[in-house]
Amino acid sequence: MALIELEKLTFCYPLRQAPALDDVSFHVEEGDFVVVCGESGCGKSTLLRHLKPVLTPHGTRTGIIRYDGAPLERIDPRRQAQEIGFVFQNPDNQLVTDKVWHELAFGLESLGRSQQEIRRRVAEMASFFGIQDWFSADVSQLSGGQKQLLNLASVMAMQPRVLVLDEPTSQLDPIAASEFLQTVKKLNRDIGTTVILTEHRLEEVFPLADRIAVMQQGRLMAYEPPAQAGAFLTQHSCGLQPALPAPLRLRVALDDIDAGQEFPLTVRDGRKWLSRLMEGRPIAYRRLPVKQPPKREELFRVKEVWFRYEKNGRDIVRDLSFTVRQGEFFCIVGGNGAGKTTTLSLLGGVLRPTRGKVLYRGKEVSKYHGELYKQNLAVLPQSPQALFVHKTVHADLMEMVRGEDDAAQRIEEIAQQVGIAELLDAHPYDLSGGEQQKAALAKVLLLRPRVLLMDEPTKGLDGDYKQMLGQLLQQLQSTGLTIVMVTHDIEFSAQFADRCAMFFDGSIVSSGEPRAFFGGNSFYTTAANRLSRHIFDDAVTCGDVESLCRRNLQGEEAI
Amino acid sequence: MVQDAFSGYHPAVNFLYFLMVLLASMLFMHPVPLCIGLVSAIVYSVMLSGWRALRFSLVFVLPMILVVTLVNPLFSHQGKSVLFYLWENPVTVESCVYGVVTAVMFVTVIVWFSCYNVVMTSDKFIYLFGRTVPSLSLILSMCMRFVPRFKAQVRTIATAQKCIGQDVGTGNVRQRMRHGIRILSVLVSWTLENAIETADSMRARGYGLSGRTHYALYHFGARDKVTLVVLFALSAVVFAGFFGGELSMQYFPVIEGKAFTAFSALAFTSFLALCLTPIAIDVADALRWRMLRKKDISDGKNRMENDGAD
Repeated sequence: MALIELEKLTFCYPLRQAPALDDVSFHVEEGDFVVVCGESGCGKSTLLRHLKPVLTPHGTRTGIIRYDGAPLERIDPRRQAQEIGFVFQNPDNQLVTDKVWHELAFGLESLGRSQQEIRRRVAEMASFFGIQDWFSADVSQLSGGQKQLLNLASVMAMQPRVLVLDEPTSQLDPIAASEFLQTVKKLNRDIGTTVILTEHRLEEVFPLADRIAVMQQGRLMAYEPPAQAGAFLTQHSCGLQPALPAPLRLRVALDDIDAGQEFPLTVRDGRKWLSRLMEGRPIAYRRLPVKQPPKREELFRVKEVWFRYEKNGRDIVRDLSFTVRQGEFFCIVGGNGAGKTTTLSLLGGVLRPTRGKVLYRGKEVSKYHGELYKQNLAVLPQSPQALFVHKTVHADLMEMVRGEDDAAQRIEEIAQQVGIAELLDAHPYDLSGGEQQKAALAKVLLLRPRVLLMDEPTKGLDGDYKQMLGQLLQQLQSTGLTIVMVTHDIEFSAQFADRCAMFFDGSIVSSGEPRAFFGGNSFYTTAANRLSRHIFDDAVTCGDVESLCRRNLQGEEAI
Repeated sequence: MVQDAFSGYHPAVNFLYFLMVLLASMLFMHPVPLCIGLVSAIVYSVMLSGWRALRFSLVFVLPMILVVTLVNPLFSHQGKSVLFYLWENPVTVESCVYGVVTAVMFVTVIVWFSCYNVVMTSDKFIYLFGRTVPSLSLILSMCMRFVPRFKAQVRTIATAQKCIGQDVGTGNVRQRMRHGIRILSVLVSWTLENAIETADSMRARGYGLSGRTHYALYHFGARDKVTLVVLFALSAVVFAGFFGGELSMQYFPVIEGKAFTAFSALAFTSFLALCLTPIAIDVADALRWRMLRKKDISDGKNRMENDGAD
């Protein structure tokens, strides 16, 4: 018997016409690992919240949800609390108490367990998750990845049968995200916990899942094992393609050449598939022609800069030198705590170097005073919420151009350009993560900057939104804007940047045009590069690999 | 910071100790217990926070003693032995001495509180007093969670606003205030937005079910029992002495103390013992550690010599 059964579940939010969930039926067996995917706003979060009655939103609902054979809402609240665990998106908001040990005990305290039992469970969880070292720490001292791991552990301390996770890794960096998902898989494999997860890092979760549920506009389009779901997605375009694992995306793109029934999910399988595809063919084109970027005027020059936060502290930035040229799209990639964000703050004049100089158009950044942010630099912070002050997006934008003659017209223009024209009357906090990002971008662009500095703009965005953001940035770049961005997102920088630099241990260790740059790395590079490097040189995006395959298989005219 | 053995004792023991020494420091005006209190407080604070703490208290203590000593006789003209007249007001020996005594008392209480802050961390306090009002302990814990979060958010918002030209650090007072209020308003909406998810997370983990229990890490062991009894016994003697008038000291109109008796000597010794309890515990702990290590080292040496012979 299935553990969870949904039968014709339809749900509509109050005052909305279109249902958020439309006739959704599926079964989850005990011990399954189910990934629910779909574009933003397809109803996947609404679906997950229906699996936990205390979180179910208000609205009209028809259909039945059965849990362990009985209708879910008739299950005793105590049992619901214990057996159905829920992990949310934002690591910080879920933490209730100030100490790690207290957070672990929180759920068991609610259930009214004895001191002795809580002690044992907490100890068990801390050992399983490797929390011993920071067990007595304050939660405010933890990194994002540790916080989310703690959230998972504190839910697992209640020993749930089902674990429901709503985009748990969207706020984490790739390393922490991967570690988190591996832990979830370990729970599923070693403890037998049933997992239902939404996620937009499909690259990571596709190989882990037993079943993939594909949702579109509130409807369940497919509920299949990963390979079949991949096959389904090749035939139906539904805005999910950019988020699919690179091997699958490539397979989708070359669907007209390869009619086979093979759907590679991992880089390993992708390599094999590509080898088979190119087998016996002479490789006439090994690499794509390199475009030499035009020599452009120098905008930023960072000269032997050192920085530390405290007098006796560690040097966060050490001996850093680089230049940014007018009109280029420059990406700084690198791991956590390498000093990327600090570097951005140094460029933006928020911090001053302890040694060395940061020159903007030949003059030190610190000597600009107020005028630095007027028609020169614009900084887009990691949390767009920090920028919104007013009740509507329009009022927030208005603030930036108050007193100008053509204020209304400029807002109109920028809203069109960024694509938030329909959202102007909404409250900034009612927008989705991607929409907030765009509104914040519109706000800083109204300062008419020459340079846009961005900190992790792709964090928490799904694949489709990332593509939109990338295209938007390229379009802005074509109007003469210089873009400097720090990010963890290798795939994004490979696709859109003019020049990438790798940051490590407080300094830039290498930089170059994306193809040369990522082609030269063997680990810290894109999935497309890793799966094609044994055949092609310096192909770093799926588009690169696709066009090389076509050139070789179909000849030059195919492009 | 040096790990303090007394901090590892049960919160009830820690709290009783500080309650007693603080009460004593505030009530006793007799110079002997005052000196005992001041010296012990400074010694313990150095043990807890190192010499830097002492430097701080010196910077703070000396001027304070000076100011109170100088100010008191200017306002209080009680006492019989007039030193001289200042603007036709008598300056007396008694009020000078009383000034010093008050200053020492102030300083002692402040130094004790600095020790208290190191030893009685928030979770110990919550544990002790949260159990009488269970929901209070959770609220306190949530507040402790909010403080560092607010700080971080204010920093984020201030930076973001600075980069769109709304800097708190520039402009005239009115502009600065306006920018400050903007930051506050962003903080409030952001926090309320986040609070919805926190509430969801609490409900998802069964908050609101009946029969909630409270978990704590602390264990009341044999050594806690012994220390608690000792602390109680010492305090009983000290306060018996105080209320029996053995520790009384009169400053006005003339300075006059009660003659030393066997009982007052006992009370002073007990107070010294009370104040030194954590220091004694720390020292005993360090000695025990050294003895154990010495044994280990000599064992290790033997082993090494044996290895060398191979």
